[in-house]
Formats: sequence, structure tokens, C-alpha cells
Amino acid sequence: MDSKNGTGQAAYRGSKSFTQQQVRSANATGFGAAADDYMERGIDLNEELIRNKPATYFFRMKGDAMKEAGIFDGDVLIVDRSVPLANGRVIVAVLNGELLVRRFHKNFSSAFLIPENSRYKAINLAEFSDFTVWGVVTYTIHPQG
Amino acid sequence: MSMKAIVDCNNFYCSCERLFQPKFEKKPVVVLSNNDGCVISRSDEAKQLGVAMGVPLFEVRSLIREKSIAVFSSNYALYGDLSWRVMETLRILLGKERVEVYSVDEAFLELDALGQKELDALALSIRKTVEEWTGIRVSIGVAPTRTLAKLANRLAKKNKAATNCVMVLSEPLAIEKALRRTAVSDLWGIGRRYAKQLHEKWSIYDGWQLAQVNESFANKYLGGVVGTRLVRELRGIPSRMMEEERVQKKMIATTRMFGRRVVELSEIKEAIATYTARAAEKLRRQFSATGHIHVFIIEHREGERHGMAYDNHRHLDKPSSDSSVLIRVATELVVDIFKKGRAYKKAGVILSDIVPEAARQGSLFVDSASADDDRLPLMLAIDNINFSLPPAHEPQHDSILRFAAAGTNRGWKMKQEYRSPRYTTKWNEMPVVR
Repeated sequence: MDSKNGTGQAAYRGSKSFTQQQVRSANATGFGAAADDYMERGIDLNEELIRNKPATYFFRMKGDAMKEAGIFDGDVLIVDRSVPLANGRVIVAVLNGELLVRRFHKNFSSAFLIPENSRYKAINLAEFSDFTVWGVVTYTIHPQG
Repeated sequence: MSMKAIVDCNNFYCSCERLFQPKFEKKPVVVLSNNDGCVISRSDEAKQLGVAMGVPLFEVRSLIREKSIAVFSSNYALYGDLSWRVMETLRILLGKERVEVYSVDEAFLELDALGQKELDALALSIRKTVEEWTGIRVSIGVAPTRTLAKLANRLAKKNKAATNCVMVLSEPLAIEKALRRTAVSDLWGIGRRYAKQLHEKWSIYDGWQLAQVNESFANKYLGGVVGTRLVRELRGIPSRMMEEERVQKKMIATTRMFGRRVVELSEIKEAIATYTARAAEKLRRQFSATGHIHVFIIEHREGERHGMAYDNHRHLDKPSSDSSVLIRVATELVVDIFKKGRAYKKAGVILSDIVPEAARQGSLFVDSASADDDRLPLMLAIDNINFSLPPAHEPQHDSILRFAAAGTNRGWKMKQEYRSPRYTTKWNEMPVVR
């Protein structure tokens, strides 16, 4: 990303890591011109959506298995592997070597992967020996229009 | 006294590929080098099928077909990103100052000198957290010195089920036992030639025997300071050998004889590009950049021992360690000196004017914030090839270079027939879930 915009000011670069030297309106004392006092960083989506960066991965949803949970074909899923599995969470699961998004549901005797679409069947995990949790879905990104 | 640990990703490239294609879990997988030349990473299953490290692809093609081994081209973007995640996890767990990244898939850690049990628990929890967060499995060796930590790591990897991929050597007796189990050729920093010499001249076969050698003997017969340090490290006395190994070379050269006479420009270009890439890896390994590139080719003349040498060089406006920049310049240089109709037997690349990466300065006419600054992490990722290849004096290595120099008729373009998507670095290549 370029560090300068047209005005010669240090532009927001998606992080807090720019120094006084990069703020062109700063003077020799290190204090900036008056306007700099009112400059704030823009909102950074990463701050809100990513809690643990090395553990966070993005996936692309394909199909409509989760449409009633508001996850549609083409949406982006944010998956945090460090979030502990809990009942009722939407997860990315590995089942028979395949990656699936479903809601995890557990009762006193068994565990299920539940689709959010009546056309799909719930998966009883007792029938599968090689089920693992890939990660927990923390956010989904869906375009409007 | 502190303890040293090495964290080493298990079959790193293969693990990266499996993370987004879990159907290959527990199946044989191999990853190929640049240009799909040879095998540079093997899953345990592929190792068991007899796929050797560094073997050219064409030699194992039938085995691959027969045993349905999954084959991947190197996906540097993916490996680089996952490497960063593993290292970042370690930094978050232990603090930046305790983590030293050693290669794309290895890092040294400084741990407090805790008891055996506490170290066991700590190492295990580091291993588990890295796997949980990043999806990459690692092995950890812990010991009083780096050399012993490496040795512990090797033993842990050899028997993953029993060790849980973790081995802590803190008690003298455990260290002795581990040293006795380790052949000198398997010690860190001992090459095959050196090991042979130890066998033949001094009847030294295992690590324990080597650790008993007295220092003046080591100094005299086992390679001076380097030998002395090694012996000390084996005895549990830390010697900062690694840092010193990295003492910056002022000049880096990569030259090779061709496997056969070479007459085509495209082949010469591929060879020069390959050597430049290797030299650039060495450069980045010592965290430096070069300001001067020199290439030469030597002609083969029937009946003459010394062929005519042709050379060419260029100063770079701005020192660089970026393979693509250096390769571009080097191939331009060799095009100028190549003459059709001549046969060549040897080529080489020499990098000089070497400056530390940190001190790298732009010249007046080049914007120092230009794009190639951002490429360093990628370049460091590419360097895994360097670490995964057998040392230069071994025969496989020659065949790798020969293979690259033999070329593909696609000119100098990287061949990547089996590359997986760049899952973690490209919006349009994200892994798909249903």
C-alpha cells in the first residue's frame, strides 16, 4: 500500500504503525500543524473482526446450506481457530475429509451438525469417526445489493 | 542458565497443503521445488513409500502414479503466510525477545531453566497452542544448548506417538542416553564428509563419543573453533555458534559445472537464474542485500582443459535481496555475453557489495519505499527450499541443478503445474466451504 496520498500527508495504512517522520505536516519540534490534532485514524475493520490474527482464516461460502442463519452463497466467513467450541456455534468442520459449515449442537447423548436450510439433513456425528473442528465462525460478510 | 528450545514444523509444506484439503490427511503427499523439479517436502506416508528427499520428479513419477501420491507445486504465498502465523503464535505466547526465527519452519526459543516436568508441560502446551491456532503441527526439542535441542527435536520426530512430538533433555543422564542414540552424521552442523572423517580417523560414531573429546583435540583436529564449539554444545555449554555462522560473508558465489555441454541460451538463462536464486537465499539467510552482481560462463572447447571465460557485471542502484530483481539483472547480464554456436560447461553468479538488510539504503534516484520492500517476507518463505535440499556436495543436489538447467521448453518461467490456491493471501482464492 502506498504510504502517501495526493496531499503529501501520511495516509492511513491499515495499522497504527506510522511514525512522526511520515506525517509530512509535522514540524521540527515533532509537533504537527494544528490540524493534525484533530486527525483520527479511520475505523479499521480488522480491529473489530479479528481478535487473534495468527489464528484467523477466511473462507468462502458455497451453496445454501446455512441460508436461514444468514449465510449465503458467496459470503465470506471469518473463522477463528482459537475460539473454543461451544454448543450452538456455527463452525467449519472436517467430515470425511471435506470442509463443511454447520451449526454444532450437542445434547446429553449425541452431537450433531445442523444445517440452516430445511432441504438439508442434520448430520449425526456418531456415524462418523473422522470428525474434527477446523475452527469457529466468528463473523460473516454479506454484500447488500 | 536458560534452556533452549527448537520448534520445527512437521513436514511443513505438506502440512500447509493439507490444512485446506483435509482429504489428504493420512495420505501420502509431496511438494515439489521451484519449477516442479524435485521433491522438497514429504508427508510421513510418502517417506514410508520410499520417496527420497530431493529426488527429481521424473524419477518418482511411476511410484506416484502407482501409490496415488498427491503432488503439489510449491505455493510460496501460502507457506509464507502460515509460517508467519506459527512464528507470531510463538511470539504471542513467549514474547518477541524469546523467539528467534531460524528458517521458514523453525524457530529457536529461550526458556527459563525450569524443572523437567514443568518444561515438559510448557513444551507440550506450546505445541498444542500452535496446532490449535494455526493448524500446523510442530515438534519441540528442549535442552541446555541449541545443538542438544536440535538433537532432542530429531528424536521426538522419530517417534511421534511415544513422545507426543516433544522431547525435553534437562537431566545429564537423559542427555547422555540421547547422545548415545544419535550418530554423529545426524548431529546439527555435521555433514556427511565430516562424519566420515570422524569414523575413519578417530573412530567416533555417536554424539556421546564426540562429546568426550577434549577441547584442545577438537580445536586441533575437528575444525578449530567450530569443532570446539560443537563439542561444548554437546556437553551442555551454550556456544553461540549459530550467530557466528551467520557472520556476514562479504561475497556470495554460486557456480556449478553443467551436467552436460549446454548450447542453448534458454538453458544458460535457466541455469543462471537458478544459481542467482540460490545465492539470493544465502544472502537473505545472513539478512543482507547485494549491490553488485557478477555473472560468468565458461566455454567448453574439445581437448582443452580451460575454456575461455566470459563475464559481465552490474551495480544495482539499490541493494536488493529480492530473487526476482536479482534474477532479472543476472539473466540480462548473461544474455549480453552469450554467443550462439558456443558450448558452455560452467556458469556462475557472484554477489558482492553486500550490506546488512537493516542498513539497506535507497540511492537518490530510487524511491526507497518501492514495492520490493514488501517482498522480503515472501523471499524468506522461498528460502525454505534452501533448507529442504540436501547439502551441495551430495549427488542429488547436482541432479536438481542439472534438472533445472535442462529446462523446460517454456523458457524461464516457473513451472507450477500442481499449485494449490493461495488460500490465505488472495480474496478470490479463499478456501471454499459448503
